[in-house]
Amino acid sequence: MSVMPSSRTAAAAATKADAGGSGGGLWTDVWKRFRRNPIALAGFYVVCLLAFIALFADFLANDKPYYLRYKNKTYFPIFRSYMVGTKLGQWPAELLNVEFKKLEGAKAVFPPIRYRATNINLLEPLEPPSSKHWFGTDKLGRDIVAGMVHGARISLSIGFVAVGIAVIIGIVLGAIAGYFGSWIDLVISRVFEIMLSIPTFFLLITVAALLPPSIFLTMAIIGMTSWVGMARFTRNEFLRIRNLDYVTAAIALGVTNRKVMFKHILPNALAPVIVSVVLGIAGAILVESSLSFLGIGVPAELVTWGSILQEASTTTFAWWLAVFPGFAIFITVLAYYLVGEGLREVLDPRLRGLR
Amino acid sequence: MFAKPWRVMVALLVMFGCGDKTEVKVADAPPTASAKEAGRPMTGDWLVIHSLSDPEVLNPLTSSDSASSEVNGYIFEGLLTREPRTLAIKPYIAVARPEISPDKLTYTFKIRQDVRFQDGRPLTGEDVLFSVKAIKCPFVNAPFLRVYFNSLVDAELVDPYTIRFVTKEPYFLNETVLGGITMLPRHYYDPQNLLRQVTVRQLSEDPAKLPAEVKQFGEQFNRNYNRSPLGSGPYKFAGWKTGREIELRRDRDYWGTGIEGIDQPHVERLKFRVVNNMDAALIRLKSGSLDFMEALQPVQSVRGTHSERFKREFKKYEYFAPTFSYIGWNNDHPIFRDKRVRQAMTYMTNRKQIVKSVLFGLGEVVDSPIYLFRPEYDKNLKIYPFDPQKGLALLREAGWQDSDGDGILDKVIDGRKTPLRFEIKINSGNAVRESVALVLMDELRKHGIAASVRQLDWTIFLNDVKNHQFDAMVLGWAMSTTEPDGYQIWHSSQAANKGSNAISYKNPRVDDILEEYRREFDEQKRIQLYKAFQEILNDEQPYTFLFASKRVSAVQRRFEGVEVFPDGLRPIDWWVPAARQKYVDKITAN
Amino acid sequence: MAGYLIQRFLLMIPTFIGITLIGFFIMRMAPGDPAELRAAGGLGAAAGGGISVEKRGVVDEAMAQWRAQFGLDKPLHVQYAVWMKNLLSLSFGESFKDNQPVWDKIAERLPVTIKLNLWSIFVVYLVAIPLGIFSATHPNSFGDRVTTLAAFVLFAVPLVWAATMALVFLCGGDFYYLFPPGGLESLDHSASWPFWQKFKDHAWHLFLPVVLLSYDGFAGLSRYMRSSMLEVLAQDYVQVARAKGLQERVVVLKHVLRNSLIPQVTILASILPGLIGGSVIIETIFSIPGLGQLGFESVLARDYPTVLALFTASAVLTLIGILISDLLLAVVDPRIVFGRRQQ
Repeated sequence: MSVMPSSRTAAAAATKADAGGSGGGLWTDVWKRFRRNPIALAGFYVVCLLAFIALFADFLANDKPYYLRYKNKTYFPIFRSYMVGTKLGQWPAELLNVEFKKLEGAKAVFPPIRYRATNINLLEPLEPPSSKHWFGTDKLGRDIVAGMVHGARISLSIGFVAVGIAVIIGIVLGAIAGYFGSWIDLVISRVFEIMLSIPTFFLLITVAALLPPSIFLTMAIIGMTSWVGMARFTRNEFLRIRNLDYVTAAIALGVTNRKVMFKHILPNALAPVIVSVVLGIAGAILVESSLSFLGIGVPAELVTWGSILQEASTTTFAWWLAVFPGFAIFITVLAYYLVGEGLREVLDPRLRGLR
Repeated sequence: MFAKPWRVMVALLVMFGCGDKTEVKVADAPPTASAKEAGRPMTGDWLVIHSLSDPEVLNPLTSSDSASSEVNGYIFEGLLTREPRTLAIKPYIAVARPEISPDKLTYTFKIRQDVRFQDGRPLTGEDVLFSVKAIKCPFVNAPFLRVYFNSLVDAELVDPYTIRFVTKEPYFLNETVLGGITMLPRHYYDPQNLLRQVTVRQLSEDPAKLPAEVKQFGEQFNRNYNRSPLGSGPYKFAGWKTGREIELRRDRDYWGTGIEGIDQPHVERLKFRVVNNMDAALIRLKSGSLDFMEALQPVQSVRGTHSERFKREFKKYEYFAPTFSYIGWNNDHPIFRDKRVRQAMTYMTNRKQIVKSVLFGLGEVVDSPIYLFRPEYDKNLKIYPFDPQKGLALLREAGWQDSDGDGILDKVIDGRKTPLRFEIKINSGNAVRESVALVLMDELRKHGIAASVRQLDWTIFLNDVKNHQFDAMVLGWAMSTTEPDGYQIWHSSQAANKGSNAISYKNPRVDDILEEYRREFDEQKRIQLYKAFQEILNDEQPYTFLFASKRVSAVQRRFEGVEVFPDGLRPIDWWVPAARQKYVDKITAN
Repeated sequence: MAGYLIQRFLLMIPTFIGITLIGFFIMRMAPGDPAELRAAGGLGAAAGGGISVEKRGVVDEAMAQWRAQFGLDKPLHVQYAVWMKNLLSLSFGESFKDNQPVWDKIAERLPVTIKLNLWSIFVVYLVAIPLGIFSATHPNSFGDRVTTLAAFVLFAVPLVWAATMALVFLCGGDFYYLFPPGGLESLDHSASWPFWQKFKDHAWHLFLPVVLLSYDGFAGLSRYMRSSMLEVLAQDYVQVARAKGLQERVVVLKHVLRNSLIPQVTILASILPGLIGGSVIIETIFSIPGLGQLGFESVLARDYPTVLALFTASAVLTLIGILISDLLLAVVDPRIVFGRRQQ
């Protein structure tokens, strides 16, 4: 039951944007005001931290060391594995399929978490948190911390890509509808109505349950079912801005439609969309965890926050399986939500006036 | 105006949260006395059985799921049954085992004259004949049941209580099949007697030539008899709240009451309560709203059921179910055509550890497709222990090595360099098989084999399996405790037409054994044949046989007469002494 | 007014057709075959020990016959036309799973889902409106910030987590037994109970599901209420009322509240479509036989008639919801002129 910001506040935000002139001036102004809100700022730092974790997951949790000195030769296994993976390199014979942790007479520097998310160890199933496994293990002995780190990467990429898809579809359709008006608008608005009327979660379950599980598919379908809000904002903005003087002037001067839409109007119409994007990422992460929980959408070999939670629901004594991933989803969603709300407050002049 | 809602909310919370619980709480029962001390079996009380899902329909012939067969098992009866302890064939509705003609093609059954249906009407040969016709009717939605009767070509009444069946070819299991025909009351399932004129022989032939009444019967049967079964068994259907509960009540006029050899019902009501979520089911068991859970999950039986309180109120029973899990290698696949590769895979599967860790020890490694407690199971098969080095040696012997340093073994097959890369397919919804596949994948990857796991929705998975669209797959078979017959799975003819031989296993010697086995009516000779059969399979490893799992059931301690049989538990035998009965029927007189 | 209604109805038709087309083709183009599923012994076999050996002796002709019986062998567009025709005569067909008329299956579960959702809406409004008012009348105070933060925190809690935790810790088992672990009524619930007893029993069973369904709505609705009220409070006529000397309380209650409640009404109508898919997780965890669970199971079982029926019903509900909310808005706010509003 989430609610989109009202079109009136969004319109007000856009007015401010127009008055601000070029993009640069507005955004530094936004950042300055944003920084004054401690809660939103905290959210922002969390978002950055999560992004860092997601990007550098392989360096934070891996069963290969950064640096290895073995038989008087130096190696950098993690980098090497990237090279082999992209077919740019090979494993030297002595390191082929070897267990780095058990290498005799070797000096190695390992990442802080010495496991990959998918390392199975049947001898240590369902262990509670300990010094060896900080967050415990799941039923196959997979380390939960590693699972959380790599899961962050999966959740965030699903969130970003899904919302990215939604943004592209939404902005393009909304721009066309708002700019050209008349019957084009009528038809596209009907499309909006159709998409709104489709029961999204039901559709998601249907598609995810029926097609073979894959992350890309999940990203795509979440994206394709959540673009309508952004489309509507864009449309409303375009409808409004199109009648402003500078646009009329540009058209009179003979600027092509495409240039008018995307160079002149769009940058000023983006404000409400930005807020939707941030909230959309949070929403996508929640949806992904629900799908994983139901056992659909993400392939079996991947460990995601939602898949760990699903195991938690059937293994209720293993509280560590529920607490940590659930908390991770919670913190992530909360952080994005706070940032989104902070942005909304900053971009909406009417509320600022009352402060 | 808006201060009030807070008060209302508080009031509501109080009301909701502290309502007195209307469910009956179980008093702490004393430890179970032995059957002799507790007294003789008596009627009374209810048994609340956990059901994981709602049956689709309660139609005795068209239902295809286990939930409905469980319920129907109390409502309907057959000509023959199996003695619970020895699994020997025993007559039930029939007076004795059938007379079999010397050419093994004709079976003559004499039935009892004192059997009544639950509405009081007597059961006669006419009902038996009708039951057979209903199965053979091609318009009844029961294709999988009908297949078993493909060999039955004719049936006719010799006299009102004697019926004769004629089969196409000799097959020692025909007796079991015929004995299992569900006795349906003709007056209820075919009130207009639409099937009167048609004969079983006609039903075995071209459906297009059948008269219109037969089609009409089929349609009516499929549509109108799904929620109100009526049979001759000890429990009557008493109600179905969809998605929640099915209730059966003991038939106080049961024809078999007091008759030796017929199962006597004791519990007044059987309630099958649907709880889709296993965790919620265990919680309901502990809180008293379920009495019997037939299949605890391995993790539940090991961890969630050890408190003192639980042990005081429930008893757990561990026993083997006649199922086994396996990894099926596509024997037509270029990589798996070579039996050394298959053997290597088996050496690289840590089956013992999987049973210990994934099944929590509730199972046993098996090496053959036969149920391990059957006499046919060969206990002297060569074992394949977990030995990855031996597996790698076998692979090397078969020509696999890492020639390009990318960490993955490869070999030149049919002129092309092929990496040892394949996909293991599994279905979604089964945690154990998923774990097996992941464990295997992880182990193989450590040794340079690029295995991956692909999880598919059940119907898609089945489709791929039937069409042989897989490299490897993890699946299981559920059999019965009665005599095995490997023809369906292992005969080369079953590899075509989407048959059960999905791995395309073709071995002419095995074919011969399987065919001879079916014709053999002497049990000892059959056992010898199957020993040879299992030895071949053990050498060729067309499947990597994994394990037979144990089932763990939990039963509330107030029930007496609970015993584990080869076929599992038999709730029909259970009863509760008067002092411990929990639910009382308010119905007074008979 | 009548003209406007007719115009809206006419516009709804292409929307409706579009929705049904999408639903139909997604369902039918997805791989997997319901005949296959019946042959393999239903979904139970997937989770269970394996495929029953007996059931695998399937004859392909039988499956083909089954498909023909349900018209699955005709080309797609023919199937669509047949289905639409039936739909328009209000016949949803029969379920593949158990041959029961789809309408019966839906009707059986509809009251449960409606009850669940109505209570949930009630609770959301009950909590969120006062929160929003408080926030708006004491903007940026400590209380405002705390309630806002609390509402956000609740919004971020994933439903699957909260529901599982509730089930484990509050519903018997190893911890506390405050609520029943699922179901709608107690085992010995009987129709002959007095109304009050039945009500209490239902309430006890539904409390957790309702709370779980509602908690994420607090944030959105209270924020919406807050911003709506703030907007109104900034209006001129409010200043006028204050200048006239009216008490703050009267100002708030009489003028501001009524006008800020207007947009909240539109939210109400958007609840309708959520009726069907929205509670799948809750219904699964708490074993509640509602429409969400029916939908999920039907998808897994490829029970096309049921899935399509639910899909269509949900779409129709949404369309009706949008129409009602627009109408209500128009009726309640005299400033809005028909036909030229921004959607």
